[in-house]
Amino acid sequence: MVFDFTETEEQKLIVKAVKEWCERNLTAVRVRQMDDKGHPYPKDIAEGLAKLGVIMGTVPQEHGGLGLDWKTQALIAETIGYYDPTIATAAGFMAVETGWGYTIDRHCSETVREKYVKPAIRGEKFIGIGATEPVGGSDVAGHKTTAKMEGNEWVLNGEKTFISGTEECKTWGGGYWVNARTGPLVPEAPHRNITAFFVPIDADGVEVIEPYKDSGRMAISTGGFVLKDVRLSDEYRLGEVGKGFYHTMEGFDNARLMIGASCAGVIRRILDDAIPYIKERKVFGMPLAKYEAIQFELAEIYMEMEALKLMTMKTAWMQDIRYAEEGLTVKVSEAKTFKPTEVAKWISMIKWKGPFLALKAAEKAMIWLGAAGYTKEYLFEAAWRGVMSYVVGAEGGQNIQKIVIGRELLGKEYVPYK
Amino acid sequence: MPRIIVCLKYAIDVSQIKVDSATRKLLTADAPRKISDFDKNALEEAIRIKEKHGGEVIALTVSSENASSALREALAIGADKAFLVHDSTIQNSDTLVVSQILAEAVKKFGSFDLIICGEASIDSYSGQVGPRLAEILGIPAVTYARKVGLEGDAIIAERSLEDFSEVVKVKMPALLTVTKEINEPRVPTLMDVLKASRKELVKWSLSDLGVLKEKVEAIAVQLLEVSAPKVERKKVRIEGENPKEIADKLVKALIQDGVLGG
Repeated sequence: MVFDFTETEEQKLIVKAVKEWCERNLTAVRVRQMDDKGHPYPKDIAEGLAKLGVIMGTVPQEHGGLGLDWKTQALIAETIGYYDPTIATAAGFMAVETGWGYTIDRHCSETVREKYVKPAIRGEKFIGIGATEPVGGSDVAGHKTTAKMEGNEWVLNGEKTFISGTEECKTWGGGYWVNARTGPLVPEAPHRNITAFFVPIDADGVEVIEPYKDSGRMAISTGGFVLKDVRLSDEYRLGEVGKGFYHTMEGFDNARLMIGASCAGVIRRILDDAIPYIKERKVFGMPLAKYEAIQFELAEIYMEMEALKLMTMKTAWMQDIRYAEEGLTVKVSEAKTFKPTEVAKWISMIKWKGPFLALKAAEKAMIWLGAAGYTKEYLFEAAWRGVMSYVVGAEGGQNIQKIVIGRELLGKEYVPYK
Repeated sequence: MPRIIVCLKYAIDVSQIKVDSATRKLLTADAPRKISDFDKNALEEAIRIKEKHGGEVIALTVSSENASSALREALAIGADKAFLVHDSTIQNSDTLVVSQILAEAVKKFGSFDLIICGEASIDSYSGQVGPRLAEILGIPAVTYARKVGLEGDAIIAERSLEDFSEVVKVKMPALLTVTKEINEPRVPTLMDVLKASRKELVKWSLSDLGVLKEKVEAIAVQLLEVSAPKVERKKVRIEGENPKEIADKLVKALIQDGVLGG
């Protein structure tokens, strides 16, 4: 087995370019302004990110992307998380647009690619995922959205809630990956007979609801939409009829990988902002950093962060191999076969670990700094509010991740819910 | 269409130098290196000229270090080709030797229209390499340019001098050194980075240029010590009955110390 953690020269230059761009455009002052002002996400930043090439970098070059591997895209997501620890940028453009945009590109028609995917890569439009329904996100059996073929068109009815980027999508144009039931519900296998579609936000019958008043990641909106007799040609179907659940799991895998990576960046930023303060600030005659109560917590978070980074890179490496096995052009050093569920286990581990650890790091940093850490002079509170969105369930509930891990360790027969 | 050579120093990133608190010595060996800031301005200006007038931009580095990553970055930013003269013998070379080696590399390229350097390097900041190179090559040097334009076969440059600026016109081939305010160097896109890996990066040794190692070693400079200045606070406390009295005392103290003119 070959262990080599050296980044390639190309990866180093890519990360350097992303850092330099962020240092000019995603400064702490700008991020604070974005968080204070709230959505919609600043178009100049979105277009700048797109011009730089970070959005959907893994999409093949012939489809308008850069054909990067997931390891490199994970390094990019980590950097984005570092510079915008509120995670608005990472959530909107790494997890949603990159994770789901890549998956849309894999399963869409040429029409959808030309009209939506390529413009989103250029920063002109916004594409995302509309998975959650009023009944919840993971409880697929309860999902009520349906699609029926009438003549040569699909007719969709239903409702999607807690959807990232609805205001941006409405303003810039774009659309969403939407799952709908296209056959009868099989109680023992509710994931069957679901088909995925790409629903343009401006399609007749799509009604975008008022955005929610979120607690965090304020720069990117969260809303929802109602589908009333939305008629789509078959060109708007994503993947195979009845296979939507499986395609959706692939999208979650990609988005969750981006979350693990961006959380590692958030944690590093929190430590980089907190360490100078605790080294300089003296109480009872010595710096805060000399107190073991603080130093030991710092050491623990650092250890866990490094573990998260290693896990994220291993997961990205597995993801590259998984796609390479399917014949896509990705650069892998070693060919190895994994079952997709094995990759999903690792992805669930970083989706669980990343947000909880980032939340803990932000909370601890605030406590180390005391009252100063509670002010908006620092980004700790904004990071705390932001990563909480992943803890409460964006891109899959945290306990769902444990179910996936448990399923892989114990076997399918131990899955508690279908 | 101008053929432009940009000289890039693989300099110590001075913002990341650590100081040994006991000896005040600068721990330069551990400090990372990067393209010198002003040289990035030089590269940016060359690319802008090329974008307007066509031509070719060649990045050139002389270093005792393997500076290929910096040159790959230069290729990502927009240089068409890059050349690295790499030899450990250069380690203790001063500006005289470096400019002689650069001159040999330039001669090996054959024809050129313009050489652009930064006004100085961020680490040693002598500002000598550009003018020395021009002297060796027998071409005019225009230093501290903050604005540059091409007019036929001539360069028009606005020079930023201490108390005034001047505009000069010189026929090419010529050498320019540029200041930081001339432009804001671009950040390469990720596509530029990917394309850079397919561009030509040539490594030369001293012998490839016909330069004798012994000659370089013979005039090597021995750097005895680099240390950080010791800064001690004066810890003077100025007190008075009212702000005016305190201000008067402060001004008097500053004049006494030579900070303000009497």
